[in-house]
Amino acid sequence: MDTLTTRGRAARLLATVATGALLLAGTLWGVDDDFPFGPFRMYSTAPGSDEPAPDTRVEGVDTTGAVVSLTERSTGIRRAEIEGQMAAYEADPSRLRQVADAYVARNPAAAALVEVRIVIRYEGVRDSRPTRTHTDEVVAAWRP
Amino acid sequence: MAAVRRWLFEPVPRGRVAAFRTLVYLFVVADITVVTPWVRTHADVPGDLYQPLLVGRLLPLPTPTPLLVHGIFWVLVVASLAAATGRAPRALGWTVFALYFEWMVIAMSYGKVDHDRFGFLVALAVLPTVGRARHGDATPTEAGGWALRVTQIAVVCTYFLAAFAKLRFGGVDWLWSSVLARAIIRRGTDFADLVAQVPYLLIAAQVGIVAFELASPLIFVLKGRRRYAGIAFFYSFHLFTYAAITISFAPHLVAMTSFLPLEKVRPLEWLRARVRVAQT
Repeated sequence: MDTLTTRGRAARLLATVATGALLLAGTLWGVDDDFPFGPFRMYSTAPGSDEPAPDTRVEGVDTTGAVVSLTERSTGIRRAEIEGQMAAYEADPSRLRQVADAYVARNPAAAALVEVRIVIRYEGVRDSRPTRTHTDEVVAAWRP
Repeated sequence: MAAVRRWLFEPVPRGRVAAFRTLVYLFVVADITVVTPWVRTHADVPGDLYQPLLVGRLLPLPTPTPLLVHGIFWVLVVASLAAATGRAPRALGWTVFALYFEWMVIAMSYGKVDHDRFGFLVALAVLPTVGRARHGDATPTEAGGWALRVTQIAVVCTYFLAAFAKLRFGGVDWLWSSVLARAIIRRGTDFADLVAQVPYLLIAAQVGIVAFELASPLIFVLKGRRRYAGIAFFYSFHLFTYAAITISFAPHLVAMTSFLPLEKVRPLEWLRARVRVAQT
């Protein structure tokens, strides 16, 4: 049997209580920025039962006129990361240049982009169920 | 107080710690290569988009560059594989913890923070404190018992405290909101689309989720087979979540194995026995 020394126990007890206190404080007052002690707020918002659901996408138009979907795979930027910095993109659409740059860095052979835009598709919801109807809205667009 | 202390340090066989350690460090490799490969793509993302988390500003950690991201990636692969063997558990364990933590800062400093790995981070932080543990060794260890216990507590906190986050951010209205409908619209599978068409089923699911989260600490009251049944239920919750919206919470699922008698899983021994049988 491996037993702990009194000091070993005390140190572990202290670490347990301190970590627990940080996590509890993070849950009550913290934000995501306090990672890893922020609140476990996955899916914690409460959209109304008839409130349309926003579905964000980023797309580009290349020199051939084709619409290219700018996803995590093609740019290295996750959709949730675009949404997390949405206010900054709306205030200054030229920030979309960084998405275009990231696309070029990962796809050097692809046709150049002449426009990059963030589109939100609002899917209809009724009684907390999707109605399978939608409307699109361009919230930020940038042309080089 | 004495009872709490006894519970917190309840000894486990060293072999259980050894098995958990191997699983955790192998998962680090699986995580950075296959499960969340997008973290590495941040190497190509312009530095302007890096908005470091509080911990990244406090330390202060550098803005990721391709060299930094790819460098950490490869050192992490090598160190984790070495740590999975159980050798130099403290030196390798702390190295993996520090590098994986930095990997997480790189992952979550671009506008989105994930909430699927608190238990896993706790496991990485406490495993180095146990010291040596051989596979198959039945000697009880208090240090190992504490490491597994605090990982279990972190796993349960992920559920229990999530209920309070829902109350804080969504309020009681969360229960009958369109939160699951919204999740399904954004990333639902065909299975989810089918489920979403059943009237009030999503709302019933929301009530069920909060009930489950609030009841999750009861897992510590259950004993033996009942506790394993409870853990099986936890896993089935994630199976449904994955089937509906392809969110796996994989690191959390690995941390949850701290509830299981992992010392009984001996794949190398089984393989050796088979080879022996085949030879005779």
